[in-house]
Amino acid sequence: MARFLSAHGYDPGPTQRPLVAGALAGALASAPAVGLLLVTGALAVEARIVGTSLLGTIAIGVPVMAMAGAVYARLFGRPANDPRAGWLFGMAYGFVLWAAGAVLVLPLVSGGKAAAGTAALGVFLSLVVWGAALGALLPFLQRPLQEKLEAAAKRSRTGPTEALPQLGSRTPV
Amino acid sequence: MIRVVAFRKAAVAGAAGALAWEGAFRIAKLAGFEGFDLVRSLGTLAFPDGPWPAWWGLGLAAHVAVGISWALMYAYFFWARFEWKPPLQGLAFSVVPAVLALAVMLPQLRLMHLPQPIAQLTLDLVLPQLSIMEIAGLLGSHAIFGLTIGALYTRPVGYRPDRPPALVCRPTRRRAGRGSPSVRQPGSGFMFATGIECSYPTTDHGRWRRDELAGTDHYSRWAEDFCCARDIGVTHLRYGPPLHLIFTAPGQYSWEIIDEAMADLEAHGPEPIVDLCHFGLPNWLGDFQNREVPQALAEYAGAFAARYQWVRFYTPVNEMYVCARMSALDGRWNEQRTDEPSFVTAVFNMAEASAAMTDAILVRRPDAVFVNSESSEFYQPCCPDPEIQSRASFENERRFLPLDLIFAHEVGERMLGYLREHGREDDYRRFLGRQVPRRTILGVDYYEWNERLVAPNGEIRALGELFGWYVIANQYFERYGRTMMHTETNRSDAADAPRWLWRQWHNVQLLRNAGVPLVGFTWYSLTDQIDWATALQRPDGKVDPVGLFDLNRDPRAVGLSFKHLIAMHRDEPEYRQCAALAQVLG
Repeated sequence: MARFLSAHGYDPGPTQRPLVAGALAGALASAPAVGLLLVTGALAVEARIVGTSLLGTIAIGVPVMAMAGAVYARLFGRPANDPRAGWLFGMAYGFVLWAAGAVLVLPLVSGGKAAAGTAALGVFLSLVVWGAALGALLPFLQRPLQEKLEAAAKRSRTGPTEALPQLGSRTPV
Repeated sequence: MIRVVAFRKAAVAGAAGALAWEGAFRIAKLAGFEGFDLVRSLGTLAFPDGPWPAWWGLGLAAHVAVGISWALMYAYFFWARFEWKPPLQGLAFSVVPAVLALAVMLPQLRLMHLPQPIAQLTLDLVLPQLSIMEIAGLLGSHAIFGLTIGALYTRPVGYRPDRPPALVCRPTRRRAGRGSPSVRQPGSGFMFATGIECSYPTTDHGRWRRDELAGTDHYSRWAEDFCCARDIGVTHLRYGPPLHLIFTAPGQYSWEIIDEAMADLEAHGPEPIVDLCHFGLPNWLGDFQNREVPQALAEYAGAFAARYQWVRFYTPVNEMYVCARMSALDGRWNEQRTDEPSFVTAVFNMAEASAAMTDAILVRRPDAVFVNSESSEFYQPCCPDPEIQSRASFENERRFLPLDLIFAHEVGERMLGYLREHGREDDYRRFLGRQVPRRTILGVDYYEWNERLVAPNGEIRALGELFGWYVIANQYFERYGRTMMHTETNRSDAADAPRWLWRQWHNVQLLRNAGVPLVGFTWYSLTDQIDWATALQRPDGKVDPVGLFDLNRDPRAVGLSFKHLIAMHRDEPEYRQCAALAQVLG
């Protein structure tokens, strides 16, 4: 997958601001995720496992999800801007976060405790829904945040010096 | 966008895969097989004690939803990665969900079925003991799923020629901040151009139609595409309406497909250079071996010029040499022949079509300008072997043949013998008597594969940029002495595209400084293209990242560089008023 993505450029597009847009999308996508956690009782369970209050868990969780959103936008780069399939890529990312975070890391840091029953289902669904919302929101948040073409095209690195060959360390001085 | 995916096809494949899994499992269960019941496990999460229709219905719905998601992942990331039979590709892909099911989902489903909210993890919970039957059942179910999606998800781009999509180009919502209002401004400034990739040949011996306008979503996003072109600052747009969809029968045209798009271009620009025949023909015309092609295309060109009288720039038949070669010598498109007589027939049919179309347009628009685009080719012999030298020399003559015909230029002795051998000397001599319109521009396209090496075994291989556009284009200028335009270039490595753009531009500048009347420069195309790595032969949906914008219409670095280039030069006196173009237009 990495090689496939790289064929299209890991760059998220020269006018995009992926970290800001990703963080914003990650934070906004937390809303349905928190809702699901509340409905399934998973938030209270997670709070018990982590040893914080409900509000404390949300206060920790939202910035973490914002950061995760920024990482997603940077990592997926240009494909993350796809309004048609963004939800799918985001959902896959949410699944990976769930498998890495809720399944692996959380039990490790909490002495082997893990959510079970409906709470475990709630944690799973909340992360998958968060990912889908992140991926679906990101392309639409990128647009108003992106740099104007006029400004971006004036950068020196879009100019004629681009014609120089990439000689690396053998570039003549 | 990383790949063009047929969403509906993938969703159907995913749902069918999930249903096939469930069907096979129920049959096996009736036969006494005791495997892991995934649908039951999913359904009883919500209805632990509910009646079977409740848990089965919900479980199956969840199972189908997951199946669709996996099929979409397959379509985006796995499909066509290997040159295997489609069901085998699906089977190989099914290893991924199978491993995740065994290693992650199964233990987690067990946790989700526990009555308490918090569990202390034990080895038994994390690594549940599964019987051989259960493991075999799960692997077998995934294999059924994989085989099904693999068998059903094929050919994500293109369509059967007899089943074209119902299309009307409707205005799309313009993107915020894009497409500042502009007015088309015909003038005699240097032509900074791009193009909308529009190839539409048939493949698979006429059983499949490639349509790049459909694949790149231009039919539904044309307004946005035109805005993107304006944002870059191009003055001209090479634009090829879909001949195969518009010209439905003799005397019958579906103009509604492009009416609104053409009206938008007329009002707001950029100035279109209309490409009337781009590598394909309508179904009813068959292929380029058909003797009716010139007359039919002339009728189409005349009708087009009558309907859109404001259009002044035309490319009657795009890249005739490439089209004839791919269709009749290399066996890739349309008639898919591989013999010299078919090649000669295709060349003459296209050249006659081009000439007849030109005449038909001139009747409606006497001041029309013709941009006859052709791929600039060069063949380098690898070694002093006389056979190799002879082959290269012949190919270096053959590359000029279509242009020689439409520009009424004499061919060399060897080419004359070749035409005589194929019984076309009289036809050739008729072309020599042709009056070439004064307002004709020779378009010369150039890509990194246009310079070729004739290898020791006679094979022709792409050589990369050996002499460069300056040298090759100069050979074309010396032969025809016509006003010229660089009508296509791009680079398949997106990261290297800005370098390529500037280097091509410097070639253009050098040729102009050398006194060649050069009136335009084109980055082709506006957006990324699809499947050119296989010359459109395989409908894989793989994106070629060559555009000024990607298929999400997000700018690429080369888009910014082209904007930079245009802004840097358009107001310079020699570009603002291009004397050579003014002479052609006047």
